[in-house]
Amino acid sequence: MIRRTFLHAFALCLLVAMAVPGSARAATADQAQSFIQALAHNAISTVANKQLSDVQRNDNFRRLFVSAFDIPGIGRFVLSRYWRTATPDQQKEFLKLFEDINVLTWAQRFKDYNGETLQTLGATKDGDRGWIVDSRIMRKQGPPIPVQWRLRQDDDGNLRIIDIIVEGVSMAITYRSDYASAIQSNGGRVDSLLAAMRRKIDQLKAAG
Amino acid sequence: MSLKALQEIGVRVILAVAAVLLAGCATPPPDDDPEAKAEFEQINDPLEPANRAIFEFNDTLDTYFLRPVAQGYRSVVPKFGRDRIADFLDNLQTPLYFANDLMQGNVSLAGVTVERFMLNTTFGVAGIMDVATPLGIPGHKSDLGQTFAVWGIGEGPYLVLPLMGPSNPRDAVGLGVEAVVDPLDYYLANNRMNWVLWTRFGISGISQREAYLDALDDIKRTSLDYYSAMRSLYRQRRSAQINEAENPGTTTVPTPDIHIDIPKIK
Repeated sequence: MIRRTFLHAFALCLLVAMAVPGSARAATADQAQSFIQALAHNAISTVANKQLSDVQRNDNFRRLFVSAFDIPGIGRFVLSRYWRTATPDQQKEFLKLFEDINVLTWAQRFKDYNGETLQTLGATKDGDRGWIVDSRIMRKQGPPIPVQWRLRQDDDGNLRIIDIIVEGVSMAITYRSDYASAIQSNGGRVDSLLAAMRRKIDQLKAAG
Repeated sequence: MSLKALQEIGVRVILAVAAVLLAGCATPPPDDDPEAKAEFEQINDPLEPANRAIFEFNDTLDTYFLRPVAQGYRSVVPKFGRDRIADFLDNLQTPLYFANDLMQGNVSLAGVTVERFMLNTTFGVAGIMDVATPLGIPGHKSDLGQTFAVWGIGEGPYLVLPLMGPSNPRDAVGLGVEAVVDPLDYYLANNRMNWVLWTRFGISGISQREAYLDALDDIKRTSLDYYSAMRSLYRQRRSAQINEAENPGTTTVPTPDIHIDIPKIK
């Protein structure tokens, strides 16, 4: 009888543990910081590796980007109220295009890489499953640029970036404002946003 | 030119201005769409159509004149020279920084401003070399729009100024007052040295445009709607600067409050 109660209790604990995934492995401040340090290290070594062809470099870059950023989460935040009115197909295509635009944008930005390094300063808790990592970009010349990384732990316990804040300017908020206007100037249609995104990707590819 | 022709031109200008003003107001969304209404208020741009027209004008002027001039400046003057010019111009702003530091109640920052001015004007040879920063006394800017904000004056609706770009009534008034009360400008204007005043204005415009070359190119290239991306960036940056003035000495930038609930995937 006692054993049975014990078993029940054990099963219950197991159920609770399964129902709240990740809670048992909440990330620490150190983990949040080293996540950003590792990302900066990998990005810089991808850019600095002269042995890679442009195609390989872009592939590596995309893999790094997709694994570090919560693109579906950022994408939903950017579309906000239009996300709910979009059909599942539109949502899927939006996320694909949003990923492409981000990868092309960041690949282009890293082309101007000039020996900058990232120094992390610390991490503070942001809600239940979030961290904000403070850091600064150290340049060869000029004052350091303060950058904050907003991280969220997903259901599997992995840390993902949901926003980058440079000198107080949030990437996610800027995207949302930009994309909301692009939808509104086209009569609130998600399809015209997708068309504008496709055109933007072609422009970025042609320029890159 | 006859008086009649002049009158006709005058009437046309008045009609054009009236048309811009009439077309200038954005229509607020209906009350039965609370989300659209909240967004309209959050964007804070009731004059959007007129602002867009001015933005367009500025962008054309920039594309064909300011940006090429800034690019020319970058290719002709080496980085070292550009830094000296930027340092010199920044040092000339000291009286304004100092007055605003005080009016914002940041007495110790005002002290830093004075200390920098003394070091840079003497050891930095009339300010062409910012020697204070390597000595661990980095500079900061403070302006009248920021001071007004610290005093609790609201920004008012978003405004795009001809030539000067993104602003709002509070910051525009600050800009205008600073231009009038700047002691150096005042001295120059009263001693028939207006050409120095305009040279300073011109060179500082080119120097600042050069500093923003890469950032603005990047925003224009990657945004879907350049206008609204700039609006969002200006307003966010501005509130961060105001926060810096209200909380001097904090090394980290306060994080904008993004509401956390990201809509779930269906």
